[in-house]
Amino acid sequence: MTTERLRIDAAALPALAVGCAAVGAGGGGDPDLALTMALLAVGEHGAVPVVDVDDLDDEALVMPCGMLGAPTIADERVWSGGEGRTLRDMVERLHGRRVQALMPLQIAGADGVLPVTWAARLGLPLADADGRGRAFPGLHQHTMHLGGVAAGPVVLTDGRGDTIVIHLDDESRADRLSRAAAGSLGGVCAAALYCMAGARARSAAIRGSVTRALAIGRTIVGAEAEGRLAAVVAALGAKVIIQGTVVDVERAGGGLPRGAATVQSPGRDRRRRVRVELQNEYLLALEDGAPCAMVPDLVSLLAADTGVPVLTERLAYGQRVTVVASPAPDVWRSETALALVGPGAFGYDLDYTSVSDGASGGDR
Amino acid sequence: MATADLRLAITAGDTNLDAVALDAGDRIVARVKMPRGRDAEGDLHAAVRHITRDGEVRAARISRALLGSHAPLEAVVARRDLCRTAVVRIGAPLTAAVPPLSTWPADLREAVSAGEAIIGGGARFDGDAGAPLDTDALAAFLAGIAGDAQTVAVASVFSPVAPEHELAAADVVRRELGAAIPISLSHEIGSLGLLDRENATVLNAALVGVAAQLAAVLRRALERHRIDAELFFGQNDGTVMALEPALRFPVLMIGSGPASAMRGAAWLSGVTAGVVVDIGGARADVGILVNGFPREAPAPIRVAGVRTSFRTPDVISLPFGGGTVVAPGTMIAGSVLGEQALVFGGETATLIDAAVAAGRVVLGSRALTLRQRRTLAGALAPVDAQLADAVDRIKRAPHDVALVAVGGASGLVPSDLPGVDEVIVPGDGDVAGAVGLAIAPAGGQADRIFRNRPADRDHAIAAAREEALARAIHAGADPDRVEVVAVNEVPLAYMHDPAIRIRVKAAGPRI
Repeated sequence: MTTERLRIDAAALPALAVGCAAVGAGGGGDPDLALTMALLAVGEHGAVPVVDVDDLDDEALVMPCGMLGAPTIADERVWSGGEGRTLRDMVERLHGRRVQALMPLQIAGADGVLPVTWAARLGLPLADADGRGRAFPGLHQHTMHLGGVAAGPVVLTDGRGDTIVIHLDDESRADRLSRAAAGSLGGVCAAALYCMAGARARSAAIRGSVTRALAIGRTIVGAEAEGRLAAVVAALGAKVIIQGTVVDVERAGGGLPRGAATVQSPGRDRRRRVRVELQNEYLLALEDGAPCAMVPDLVSLLAADTGVPVLTERLAYGQRVTVVASPAPDVWRSETALALVGPGAFGYDLDYTSVSDGASGGDR
Repeated sequence: MATADLRLAITAGDTNLDAVALDAGDRIVARVKMPRGRDAEGDLHAAVRHITRDGEVRAARISRALLGSHAPLEAVVARRDLCRTAVVRIGAPLTAAVPPLSTWPADLREAVSAGEAIIGGGARFDGDAGAPLDTDALAAFLAGIAGDAQTVAVASVFSPVAPEHELAAADVVRRELGAAIPISLSHEIGSLGLLDRENATVLNAALVGVAAQLAAVLRRALERHRIDAELFFGQNDGTVMALEPALRFPVLMIGSGPASAMRGAAWLSGVTAGVVVDIGGARADVGILVNGFPREAPAPIRVAGVRTSFRTPDVISLPFGGGTVVAPGTMIAGSVLGEQALVFGGETATLIDAAVAAGRVVLGSRALTLRQRRTLAGALAPVDAQLADAVDRIKRAPHDVALVAVGGASGLVPSDLPGVDEVIVPGDGDVAGAVGLAIAPAGGQADRIFRNRPADRDHAIAAAREEALARAIHAGADPDRVEVVAVNEVPLAYMHDPAIRIRVKAAGPRI
């Protein structure tokens, strides 16, 4: 793996953005703005090399980064583009070492694409890894947390030049303090946390995330209309739960998008209905009250005509979709991990059953 | 002497010009449908002549003239007659990652931009000032573009929540460039999502000249017939606006064609919830009515390659109409004008011939279709399939709905479609767009964001209602009869201290 050098350029970016949306289980935010920024950034500063974590120096500092807060607010206040430099400079001061590579905190949605802009402007490579392999809402729901890497010091910047550093005495307060800080920075901010040495990244991060998202995106963008869905399902390693129309959307109030969608299959099969529950991400698919896929496995809705993933905030009555489920990265399936990201962590009284163990549904 | 009790409505589509005159009791007293000619003024003159030739419609009786025009969209598509616009974005250092107009097609940007600047300022989502407005930087930028810019577009971060910096910037622009220069402010045009709102604002500023020209042409055509009428223009939500807002917000005219056709379909049929199919010579638009108004398309939309977000009717356009040429083996081989169709003695087999041959509609001479019976026989099946698919996609509901078919080629619509319980083809449906304009109320909308706390919410809803009502009255609605017709609340995602976006629409009969 040391010879082949992947570079993210303008030609690769649209596919990367679609791929990031596809591995987000409906979360991570619309990557469109991040894609526009990244296209301009690589146009001006050149393509971004992607490095395998094996190629990082043991002592090299890897800076996981992304956004914290409301993506809708980011669409209004639009990034300065200089956030990556602010974060990098502060992280280097705090750790007393040079940052050798950026890494997406999560590969999902906008977060998978944002670091490309910052890396291009800094002239740094992007590590081919991430901390989730999907999207999750909680700050501790990163594989680095499982791997014993400290979240702090958490570095946040608003793009106006204000920077907040949170030194944590107790890791369990990281989520609450960071979110409060994000609120005070205008509702959304750029964040660097779980900074670690290259040697640590090899075991604590999910490897190959960037190349995987790019490959999935290329399948979606490049496939012929006929057979596109099958190609996307294969690329995701997913199985089809149902194809049909969104016939009901329930949304609970409050800031976090919570609710459920009901997808009904057409024709003679009309009585088949699958309920998909969501909290930021799609978490659970149920048929006749029985779960057929659950978090941390990825439940995704793909638009029937294009194969493009339907984000939770774009979910609407009448959309024609295919609901698919794909297995979570192995690291999320241990007992310790499931306590952090399993159904119980989202308030469901269910024992995790992997979608790859299930017998029902279509092809794996 | 008769009172001035008539209103004249004219829609200029891409092929035809439709005009109707309605009396105070909303009775259609004159109507005409004619092909468009080469110049807009000649077309308008011909339409008015046709309407007033009828003894009942004397010029002195016409008190209002309403125009639905394709011209703003055509100007953007052709990059023609656009004003040179200086673009001021307020938000630096934020937003610099995507400079103004950086996603526009290069030729359109070239045609429109007199220069772009990002200056300090803007608000936070809760309305607090993010940074002070950098008026010195603004004045310096304006000094540099003073000779070139004909209009100015201003977009500030979170201006839908806090428009203060846009208003203050407009003061600086007037001070530096003179009080007469047209200024478009983004908080009056679009909603959240800076880049899409800014794009709509720049398009609006670039179209100010087209709107002025349109109004002048209409005024001249009316004066030739000694008609002294108050002018109104169709908006893309199915309402109309008076002359003064139309000159300021020309971008809102884009999409008015499908919107007024759907409003006309609703009014002619009495259907307020259902699907509308508007079939002309070369295109079929499928839309849906909610409370008698077209449902709004989800953002973003694209106008001539520019991603933008202003309201526009949700329409699925299908690439066929009555004039679509039918040839064995292919359905679409271009389109022709009506007179070339077989049923009117022409030589070309078209979809309207197929509809006549199949007995769906009585038009011209059915006998003339017989010699091409075989060609026509299979022509309607793909039409029906595409219509059924579009109806299913647009209606977004499992239950059957009513379908209203309008437009010159409404006869193409089969009487039986899946998901449709009744097909209604109203009389005068071929001029539904003009009718929709004639009966349209004047409308206005407001879009606000507030923190989700009870006191803030009540205040924000009251403020948004007030603003929407004020805009409807500004557009020409009767202050005594204007009312709020829709209120929408949407939470912003991922906030622990959530914010809510509220959108209010108001409409009322014209004074």
